[in-house]
Amino acid sequence: MQVTLNIKRFNPESEQPFPYEEEFNVEVEEHFTVLDSLIKVREEIDESLTLRCSCRASICGSCSMRVQGHAKLACKTKIIEVMDSEKRIKIEPMTNQPVVKDLVVDMKLFWDKIRDVRPWLQPEGPEPENEYIASNEAMIHLTGVMGCIMCGACVSDCTVLEVDNNFLGPAALAKAYRFVGDPRDGASKDRLKELSKYSGIWDCTRCYECVEVCPKGVAPMERIMVLRDKAIVAGFDGNYGARHTEAFSSLVEHSGWLDELRMIPKTFGMFNPLSLGPLMGMIPVGLRAFRRGKMPPIFHKSIPGVKNVRRIFKKLEARK
Amino acid sequence: MKYAFFPGCVSRGGAPELYPAVIKVCDRLGIELEEMYGASCTGSGILQEKNEFLGDVLNARTFAMAERLGLTIMNICSTCQGVMSQANKRLKDNPDRLREVNDILNEEGLEYKGTAEIKHLLWVMVEDIGIEELKKKFVRLLPDLKLAPFYGCYIVRPSWALEFESHPGREDSLEALIEAVGATVVDFAGKTRCCGFPILTINEKNSLSMVAKHTSDVQNLGADAMVTPCPLCHLNLDSFQPKAATQAGIKIHMPILHLPQLIGLALGFTPKEMGLGRHIVSPKTVEKKIADITATRV
Amino acid sequence: MAVYEHDVLVVGAGLAGMRATIAAISSGANAAMITKVHPVRSHSNAAQGGINAALTSRGDTWDDHALATVKGSDYLGDQDAIEVMCSEAGDTLIELEHMGVIFNRDDDGRLGTRRFGGQSVARTFFVADITGQALLHVLYEQIIKSEARIYEEWFVTSLVMIDGQCRGVVALELMTGQIHLIKAKAVILATGGCGRVYEPSTNGLIVTGDGIAMAYRAGATLMDMEMIQYHPTTLKGNGVLMTEAARGEGAYLLNSEGDRFMEKYAPNMMELASRDVVSRAEQTEINEGRGVDGCVLLDLRHLGREVIETKLSYINEVALDFVNVNLAEQPVPIRPGCHYIMGGIKTDVDGVTSIPGLYAAGECANVSVHGGNRLGANSLLDTIVFGRRSGLAATAYAKEIGESRVPESVIDVDVQYIKTLMSRESSNDSWAKIRREMGDSMNEHVAVFRNEEGMQAGLKNIIKLKERFSRLEVKDHSEVFNTSLLFTLELGYMLDLAESICVSALSRKESRGAHFRIDMPERDDKNWLKHTTVHISPDGPKIDYLPVVITQWEPQVRSY
Repeated sequence: MQVTLNIKRFNPESEQPFPYEEEFNVEVEEHFTVLDSLIKVREEIDESLTLRCSCRASICGSCSMRVQGHAKLACKTKIIEVMDSEKRIKIEPMTNQPVVKDLVVDMKLFWDKIRDVRPWLQPEGPEPENEYIASNEAMIHLTGVMGCIMCGACVSDCTVLEVDNNFLGPAALAKAYRFVGDPRDGASKDRLKELSKYSGIWDCTRCYECVEVCPKGVAPMERIMVLRDKAIVAGFDGNYGARHTEAFSSLVEHSGWLDELRMIPKTFGMFNPLSLGPLMGMIPVGLRAFRRGKMPPIFHKSIPGVKNVRRIFKKLEARK
Repeated sequence: MKYAFFPGCVSRGGAPELYPAVIKVCDRLGIELEEMYGASCTGSGILQEKNEFLGDVLNARTFAMAERLGLTIMNICSTCQGVMSQANKRLKDNPDRLREVNDILNEEGLEYKGTAEIKHLLWVMVEDIGIEELKKKFVRLLPDLKLAPFYGCYIVRPSWALEFESHPGREDSLEALIEAVGATVVDFAGKTRCCGFPILTINEKNSLSMVAKHTSDVQNLGADAMVTPCPLCHLNLDSFQPKAATQAGIKIHMPILHLPQLIGLALGFTPKEMGLGRHIVSPKTVEKKIADITATRV
Repeated sequence: MAVYEHDVLVVGAGLAGMRATIAAISSGANAAMITKVHPVRSHSNAAQGGINAALTSRGDTWDDHALATVKGSDYLGDQDAIEVMCSEAGDTLIELEHMGVIFNRDDDGRLGTRRFGGQSVARTFFVADITGQALLHVLYEQIIKSEARIYEEWFVTSLVMIDGQCRGVVALELMTGQIHLIKAKAVILATGGCGRVYEPSTNGLIVTGDGIAMAYRAGATLMDMEMIQYHPTTLKGNGVLMTEAARGEGAYLLNSEGDRFMEKYAPNMMELASRDVVSRAEQTEINEGRGVDGCVLLDLRHLGREVIETKLSYINEVALDFVNVNLAEQPVPIRPGCHYIMGGIKTDVDGVTSIPGLYAAGECANVSVHGGNRLGANSLLDTIVFGRRSGLAATAYAKEIGESRVPESVIDVDVQYIKTLMSRESSNDSWAKIRREMGDSMNEHVAVFRNEEGMQAGLKNIIKLKERFSRLEVKDHSEVFNTSLLFTLELGYMLDLAESICVSALSRKESRGAHFRIDMPERDDKNWLKHTTVHISPDGPKIDYLPVVITQWEPQVRSY
């Protein structure tokens, strides 16, 4: 069947080096992947179409690109599953990273962030003569995150990186989890301390983009959530992120639903001089809300049967 | 049609214009609501971060209550929808987990049997009522309006929880409704992106950057307003828009409509009845356009 | 044009390359890596099943592993080299675990094993079915830790030879199209195999034999180039690898009649006979009409969902993605496909080649530990053991050897060649067409079953293709990331290797290991217990021979 590939191209050496769209009509088989089609274009229609690819089997991570607006591995994406009703497919390079040429991006940002989390095992104490002893249970949960092939899809579609490229990002944070979760690594506490700082685990907005686009089921966001929990347990709970989580939890425990009014001061801490800034910053917003009648009620009534909620909290917190 | 109504926290808190609008709209659409007063907060993903099992228990409690009523749960918040869908899927797929959850619910005399269905009003309108039926109830179409959809993360991701394969209409349900009221959809890449609300108190700069980006993007595309089914998104995009604009150093004036408000306007309610006056970013431009339409009709 | 200088330069950043670099740096060398793709994109990550090691702490003996390897090689492997590899395997494995590899564990929390082809003892250590990827990423972590300099996405166009010694490389920087000179006292080639000479192949598109070809062009000895391993279980269609570990966990091979046909060919080891035996068995079944659509079937259903989803999760994903088969519910169609080259640049156990200053390790090298056929899970071992050894040896050499003047004009030949490629007359021919025809020809004439007529036809085809190549122009003239140029240069390398493979195959007048001739089906130890070697000459590849080193094990009849 014939399909139309609408490819966002870019030639840095042209007289007018701006991205432009080019369409290719190409004959494909039913089972073709996006990569198969791109290779066909490259080999039979336009040799200059530039993209990275190698293994064709979703293990090398080279062929990450945006297909119909979302980051995917081209070699793992079937044409028939993504084409629209007119058999058209929009293909663009990954975002959040500068485009070098056509579908090739400069992944320096990606690799730098991986480096930033000190991604090597830091065992404590003398090495044993043979292997470290570790149960399969302790290790098996790491094979998921070990499956990361560094394709960059998560970084491409991360909503935080879109506005702030200081954020460590889902790939680097998932990689950090691989060490924090490894019983042989002795540097967990230091790692968690670093990760709890600005641009670390607390900057994630929990939007699930990385979980959705990861072709390997690494689920970076979920690893970040585990890191958050581990960070709090390790004692790094003074930042606004940790406080926000604690505040939310205790408010819902108390009344069964969220008391937004008290959420703000509880997160920032009323008696903390450092919080003066953020608290003051909320005042204009609060005033505007007050004028329009949008203030949450000062008297926050608990839900009927709230004692059941409190009971559940107490039981499960104790269990943990 | 009757539903167990789960209004969520924000529609009775920071976005109080939403709740009465929903009641009025449902009434006119013939949707009967039985409000779930005893149901707790869903956890919003934050509770789940701390203790996923705890979140599942709280949600299973809500599901069990709905099962008792024999009704599908209807919510009005993308976040509530996503969190509850995820909890439901986990419990349905894992009988051991469900058993553990029920051990705790039993103490209250509740049991979740795994049959609950949870639908946002958006899905109720598109699936249970249907676009054609809805159109019959609209008394006022809004052809001059250009509206940008903004879904809210949790009603579009993660796809494993939201049953898109069996309900393909969900993925562009918001656009379908915008077109149904006669308005023009202003499509933009950010429609399924994050509004920044979850990090508002953690990294305000980034949160507001997201607000500024989405609102200015659609402003540049000529939209009259954004429509969202999530009151948390509404809170960020509306209440924090002035601050976001200041931070970005650009002028932004983008009214944000709750989805029920839009439907209400098409059903013939006035902007005042829909609580549009309560928004931080004044929707006066939208109101004027609607007034013109009404004027010409009359 | 820039000039750089290092003590040791490693070409290729796969397992062997990175291990060599780490060894060189830890011995104090100023070492760097040059690689045409980012290290984690190297084809090492496609290795799935596992890594062999005899752990003495468990009562296993490396002699047994060595014997299995010798037999697997059909007695063409050099036994001293095999002894080195097998005796160092235990320490190698533990070192990898200490670096952080997340191997599967048994119930005692110790490293778990699985069975693999050609071996009667389970000594293959693994990480689900992504062992290569796991090792590659951990080595990359160690490289980050070592802060090694990496010339990333630089393509070596030739070796610098001064007075018969290798003194560095000339390389194309893909991002800018500039040609640079990197001087080095020692160069280690770790560029992998040349599977893309064949079509189909399990190999990624980057596996084009660059290092083997550039060593050949520089005058180095290549050895046993006719030994090309066809992996028995490659997926129908795109030829992607389905790990031997599936059979290690107990999967069956079935023909169209539903029979476990390996009973006829290897009644003892059955599906876990050595790969050449299994590939020939499958091909025979297919040729004799008992195939299904040009394939046979790999049946994993009886292994159960849990085993498949934990230990074979990657191939499960592959089967679902590419042929819509759920391994727990249906058998999957597979057939033999080009996978590995046992042949390569002749080295000793320290990676020393016939050119002073030039070392080689990994698949591009031929020590020889694999002889006529490689056992599964020995390749990962080979890369780490000999990567380390060559890194150390090259460092020691670099410390001893004096300086040498390397004039910048050495880059001129390559600069000129690229200019020529860009300025040739335009034609309808393309690198893609030539590569395809080369691949098809090799897959037809120099594959599982060979004969004189076929191989001669194959050689003729290659020579014709080389002639076409000599007139081929590069249509894309850009400087930034010119993949057309890159693929054309790679094709040049591949054609040289294809020619060497054909000539070597014609020269071996017996069947041994992966080289099976229908017209000479017997193994002839009397006359042919020797390696074939190939050197470049103005008249094409020149054949010679080298003896096989035998220490403990006299050649026996090889049956499974």
